[in-house]
Amino acid sequence: MSIPDKLKHINISTRISILLGLVIILTMGVFSTLSLIKQENDSIEIIKNNSNQLCATIEKILRFSMLENRRNEITKALKDIVGKEGIRTVRILNHEGLIKYSSKQSDINQQISQSNPRCTGCHDNKDNMLVSSTKNFVNYRIDKQKNLVYNFLPIYNAHSCYTSACHSSGEMSSSINLKPTNGLQTFHYHDSSQTVLGFIEIEVSTEKIASNLGHTRSQLILITIIIALLASILTYFSIRTLVGKPVKNLVEGTRRVAKGNLKQEIPPGKAELGELSHSFNLMQKQLLTTQSQLIESEKLASIGKLADEIAYEISNPLTGIIVFSENLSKDSGEDKIKDYKVIHTEALRIREIVRNILTITKRELLEFKDTNVNEVINHSISIVNKLSNFQNIQIVNRLQKSVPNISANSGLLDQVFLNLLLISSESMSNGGIINISTNYVKDNGELDIIFSDTGKGIPEEILQKLSASNNSAGLSNTERTGISLAVCKNIIEMHKGSFSIESKPGSGTSILIKLLVNS
Amino acid sequence: MNRNRVPELLYLLNSWLTLSMQRQIKILAIDSKEIILKSIRKALNSDEKTEYIITTSGTSIEGLKLIRNDIYDLVLLDLAMPGINGIEVLKRIKKFNYDIPIVMLSGYSSKSSYSDVISNGAENLLLKPFTTAELKSVVSNIFKADKSTG
Repeated sequence: MSIPDKLKHINISTRISILLGLVIILTMGVFSTLSLIKQENDSIEIIKNNSNQLCATIEKILRFSMLENRRNEITKALKDIVGKEGIRTVRILNHEGLIKYSSKQSDINQQISQSNPRCTGCHDNKDNMLVSSTKNFVNYRIDKQKNLVYNFLPIYNAHSCYTSACHSSGEMSSSINLKPTNGLQTFHYHDSSQTVLGFIEIEVSTEKIASNLGHTRSQLILITIIIALLASILTYFSIRTLVGKPVKNLVEGTRRVAKGNLKQEIPPGKAELGELSHSFNLMQKQLLTTQSQLIESEKLASIGKLADEIAYEISNPLTGIIVFSENLSKDSGEDKIKDYKVIHTEALRIREIVRNILTITKRELLEFKDTNVNEVINHSISIVNKLSNFQNIQIVNRLQKSVPNISANSGLLDQVFLNLLLISSESMSNGGIINISTNYVKDNGELDIIFSDTGKGIPEEILQKLSASNNSAGLSNTERTGISLAVCKNIIEMHKGSFSIESKPGSGTSILIKLLVNS
Repeated sequence: MNRNRVPELLYLLNSWLTLSMQRQIKILAIDSKEIILKSIRKALNSDEKTEYIITTSGTSIEGLKLIRNDIYDLVLLDLAMPGINGIEVLKRIKKFNYDIPIVMLSGYSSKSSYSDVISNGAENLLLKPFTTAELKSVVSNIFKADKSTG
């Protein structure tokens, strides 16, 4: 459509180098034009001054010749001056505008009109009057087309001019005729009332200056073009290497990443673009890590799912093995009992192995979220309140009003609290009190959860086994309490918390759970 | 003094009744796996104190039919039943007769959720594979609680 639209497709290095070239040409053009004009003016000024001085010199030199009216000598002298320093012609005119002497023979005795610039420099055009102020006298004329500068110098009347006897020669009479006299026959050649007798004119050529200036101009144009070209080329290549290349690398990098190749790094650069390439590489690395973590967790998820399926399927036949071996070991003879007990123990071991595997895979798959422990505890209490074996049990809820959230899996915590409540209820078949309290300790960022009951307490052997290891395979006896406590401890440790039990048979149990609060 | 003695005496009487009387408890076991039904039979029949009359059913539909036609003291119900699932069967039984205690059976897995089962009205959840003692303890707990409340 428009030109700017088309320009958008030109790459940045070309655009900037063209722009720079144009700026250089424009600046240098303006600068050279201004300086050329100044140079020309200065040269003409110098010529004017020089020729003015020359006029004065000529006047002084020729004054004597003029007084003595040596015409040939004057003409010869004028011819001698011509040709030096661009002087084309030298003329001497009288005040009436008649060319009396000239280096050019054809000019002599030509009359110039009043409108001629030689006259208008000093005189007003109309009535032959002098220009009001001497300041405005113009003693030069410039002819730009012919490359000429004309300079005039008035020859003022002097005492010697109208008193000199020199003018009394025969030639004088012809001059007298041209002069308006008041009829008095005197020896004076010129009238004493006259201020200006005539003027000397020098015609100087400025051709040489013009050609010099022309030469300088073309040189300047050439230099400007060369500088602009060099600057453009330099800019073009430096932008290509400093910007184009890293950008190209980045573009290629993003394309590669889009295709899924995350292993190849782009070469590191410097300055801002270097920072960009560095952060690009960093991003790529993080993507790679995230990707591998994702793959890893997907693997774990499928393993977990498989383990879950297997555990579920195994549970049915294993129930048969356990129950039937128990039955056999009870009814059989002494020699067989040992064998059946081996089957029973090993079946229980399989059960523990499967449960452990599931706990581990579950741990990897668990989602931890900001959780309010009080809410979870209240939920667990609301569930057990429906159970018939909690009808004689009073649950005293002493939860701190506002506890900070912790990063946890609420489902698992729920399982812990339910287990603890059920264990307590089992130790208080005749009723009792369960105290539950939460307390946030700000100093060490810990949330304490305390469960205490007034039950029978937990047998010493279970406590010992529990503290010895977290492997519940050791608790292969049929006590559900032991297994439940092991599961609870396991879950709390999954949350990087601590689980401790204080229990004396007959005087109740107190369980302290410490969980870390999110920073 | 008197006040303290009354519940104590009642408790002793209760224990005596539990221990001495040969009780008959009717149990319905619903599970699609034959081995689980056999194991339940084997485990509970080995009890010397209590006489359990056990009826078994391999499908949810048959189980629900049996409940409508007879009176049971306890239902053992598998959570992962094909067709109508365990939770759905639990809800239907509770709708029909809320007072029947139900113990759910489930494999140790992420699928089994204790709170899910309890909130739908079941008394307890027994994880498979279970031992004879575990099954007996769960069942006897139900009737202990039943007695003390009744």
